[in-house]
Amino acid sequence: MGNEWKISEVISCDVLILGAGGAGLRCAAEILEKRLGCRVIAVTKVSHPQKSHTSTAQGGLAAVDPKDPVDKPIYHMFDTWKGSDCMADQNVVKRIVEAGWEEILWLENRGMHFSRDVDGKLARRTFGGHTLNFGETSAYRAVFEADRTGKGIMDTLWGEVIKRGISFIHQSMATELLFNGDRCVGAVVFSPKSGKFTAIRAKATVLAMGGCGQVFKITTNCRQNTGDHLALAVETGLPVMDPEAVQFHPTGIVGPGILASETLRSVGGILRNKDLEAFMERYAPKMKELAPRDLVARAIETEIREGRGILNPSHGIEHVWIDLRHLPEHVHKTQIPEVASFFKKFVNVDTRTELCPIRPSNHYHMGGIPTNEDGQVLKGPNDRVPGLFAIGECACASFHGFNRLGTNSLLELITMGRFAAQKAMEDLDQELPPLPPDAGSRTFEKFSSYFAGHSKVTVGSLRERMKAVMTEKVGVFRNEEGIKEAISLLEELKEEAQKCGLRSRDLLMNQELVERWELDNLLTSAMLIAQGALHRRESRGGHFREDFPERRSEFDRHTLVYMEQFGKVRIDWKPVDMTLYEEGGPYAEKFGMIERKY
Amino acid sequence: MSQDQDLTLRIRRYDPSTGRSWLQEYRVRAGGILRFTDLLRKINTEQDPTLAWNSSCEHGQCGSCAVRVNGKPLLACELLVENAVKEFGTKEFLIEPITVGPVVRDLVVDLEVAYRRVEGMKPFIIRPRENPYGEGEYRIDPKEMDPYVDATRCINCFCCATACISGPRSFVGPNAIMSCVVRLLDPREDAKAERFKLLHGPNGVAHCHTSKACSHVCPKEIDVAHFVRLAKSLRLKEKA
Repeated sequence: MGNEWKISEVISCDVLILGAGGAGLRCAAEILEKRLGCRVIAVTKVSHPQKSHTSTAQGGLAAVDPKDPVDKPIYHMFDTWKGSDCMADQNVVKRIVEAGWEEILWLENRGMHFSRDVDGKLARRTFGGHTLNFGETSAYRAVFEADRTGKGIMDTLWGEVIKRGISFIHQSMATELLFNGDRCVGAVVFSPKSGKFTAIRAKATVLAMGGCGQVFKITTNCRQNTGDHLALAVETGLPVMDPEAVQFHPTGIVGPGILASETLRSVGGILRNKDLEAFMERYAPKMKELAPRDLVARAIETEIREGRGILNPSHGIEHVWIDLRHLPEHVHKTQIPEVASFFKKFVNVDTRTELCPIRPSNHYHMGGIPTNEDGQVLKGPNDRVPGLFAIGECACASFHGFNRLGTNSLLELITMGRFAAQKAMEDLDQELPPLPPDAGSRTFEKFSSYFAGHSKVTVGSLRERMKAVMTEKVGVFRNEEGIKEAISLLEELKEEAQKCGLRSRDLLMNQELVERWELDNLLTSAMLIAQGALHRRESRGGHFREDFPERRSEFDRHTLVYMEQFGKVRIDWKPVDMTLYEEGGPYAEKFGMIERKY
Repeated sequence: MSQDQDLTLRIRRYDPSTGRSWLQEYRVRAGGILRFTDLLRKINTEQDPTLAWNSSCEHGQCGSCAVRVNGKPLLACELLVENAVKEFGTKEFLIEPITVGPVVRDLVVDLEVAYRRVEGMKPFIIRPRENPYGEGEYRIDPKEMDPYVDATRCINCFCCATACISGPRSFVGPNAIMSCVVRLLDPREDAKAERFKLLHGPNGVAHCHTSKACSHVCPKEIDVAHFVRLAKSLRLKEKA
């Protein structure tokens, strides 16, 4: 085979950002704005940063205006803490919440097209779990740009960074982190468009690589969210924190899993099984459809597991219905026009006259690469990795604990992006450390092995099997037996993957090669999630164990999973930061290990 | 629920290592509500893993999967099998890459040059107008936003630029123009003169032939031609 296994070029910069979504570009913008002439390179896996997954975020961005007469940052902190099922780190919650409004103004002043109220000020709306006065009543806390808040953020950030001279490397992926001693000094990047490997030297390297939703069969996540960051981390001996903390949204549109907003249920949509029974009455007689996300998701999955689901023939996916037919015409037109158009566009059903197929959809990974409140990566409970940062969904600071509130993810991206930038700038005056002599060898060993297999099985078919088992055994419901089955299947798939023969033989835009590499990352992510889930013998937030259905105080701690070799894990624990509780003061008791009841 | 369909997809392929280009035929049996991105993935998994195509969000929000189907630029993730059969009146589909940049392989187009045209139109605030409200947010009446807010929905999928009869060599493209018009109308932008200069530069709005193909194909149903026309007419006003 004529493929050349070499580093084609070595590039140097001050800050290397791997991933160019909301977190990555906010970080880049801060550095470029504060440090004139600083060399920042951002690597994006998609064809252009504007295509990043952040762009698909709809709802809004939570932040308390300090001038607000009724809302207070302490309420937002409380909601985040309670929502997290007492697993968010309070130092991080405090820092992010307090910085929120400043970030909103930063974006607005730089041209984000926020929706406005009649006075021309930023309009605000309510969102599930956001309350005033510690749960008393709904808070108007989310600013938004119509139903495309994420896109508004991305467009603004993209504009700011090109204005200030960022260098982008498009449609490329980081395959290896480079270290000099224990200091991260850059990364190896593969660009399928040229078929070349580049080594990038940097004084600071920032991981901002998004999530891993493609591990599941039904997901709201984009095609590129394959958990590459988790594989990068564990391969270099770093832990992943709380990998078992995965959020499932109760209503994904069958089959792809596109998010059908909460609004469907709040306007009066009724969930029905194949006998058209309004089944929520059996699970939550009072709240019915308005019960919390996780409860609704479990109710739907129970219906399906007990044979009361409906099989969609096109996608081969079982689902239940959401019935919107009884709602008046004006509700379809004015209150749910977007979601109604999604059902029309992606399933060809008319919400006014037909039943709509939905199923819980994987939505967000609360777990990720552990960091401190400045986004500095941790290799142990307190040990920093010099030169390495992680921010956004790929990181776990942890702002969301075991369950994320709507609109809190966008807030995390932009605040943590700035914090990491500020910290990274402190170290930019030092010399650029040299690369290790074996830079790239791990990548080449891996990539050349991908061409060595001879089996006829396709990457896609292995990926489908992984997605199916993860959705079934490590999804909304988990139990020891099921998780163990999943783990042994993952091991089997890993072996099969190693035998997999690629039909595309060169490096130029070899999609099969990229997907083969992604399959490794997906299997690693799946294994980490399954291992975390196996060791957490309790239920908390998005993690529900049928064999341990209650929250247990001995698990009031973060999971750290180390896995240098596939399937060989070491588990460690990290205490939850309780700053707000320990500081005392009038509201301290709100930040104890409180019940998550709504 | 609709029935399975037997489709023939003729896909334009290109191999960069040999420079060879050819049409390859795939026969696919698919459910009515599968999308064209699902079909391409199905081909990868079941028939031919070598076929390369682009996508990301796969629900019409990012524009990565723009292709031409029987000549029409569209987002593959939004085209359902049963709708395609109805709209095009056939079960045979010719799938080709969009035309705004060089093909890297098969349906994957290099968007660097295409995006450079948009970036040339400075999709940001060049020089912020002084904020009369001091430190906080600018106050913008929603009515003041109405004239341009629809243009901010553009996702740069380049369907309009592909359909445009002027072509990318002479014209920066409808989407690039639209991004400039947004900031021309944005009250926070102070550099209006520079905006006019950009819009009426060498590859600017003068090259638009008013075919309105852009509005016709826009997957986000933005009246793109309206904004291009606006750029022209605002110039006239400026002159007057």
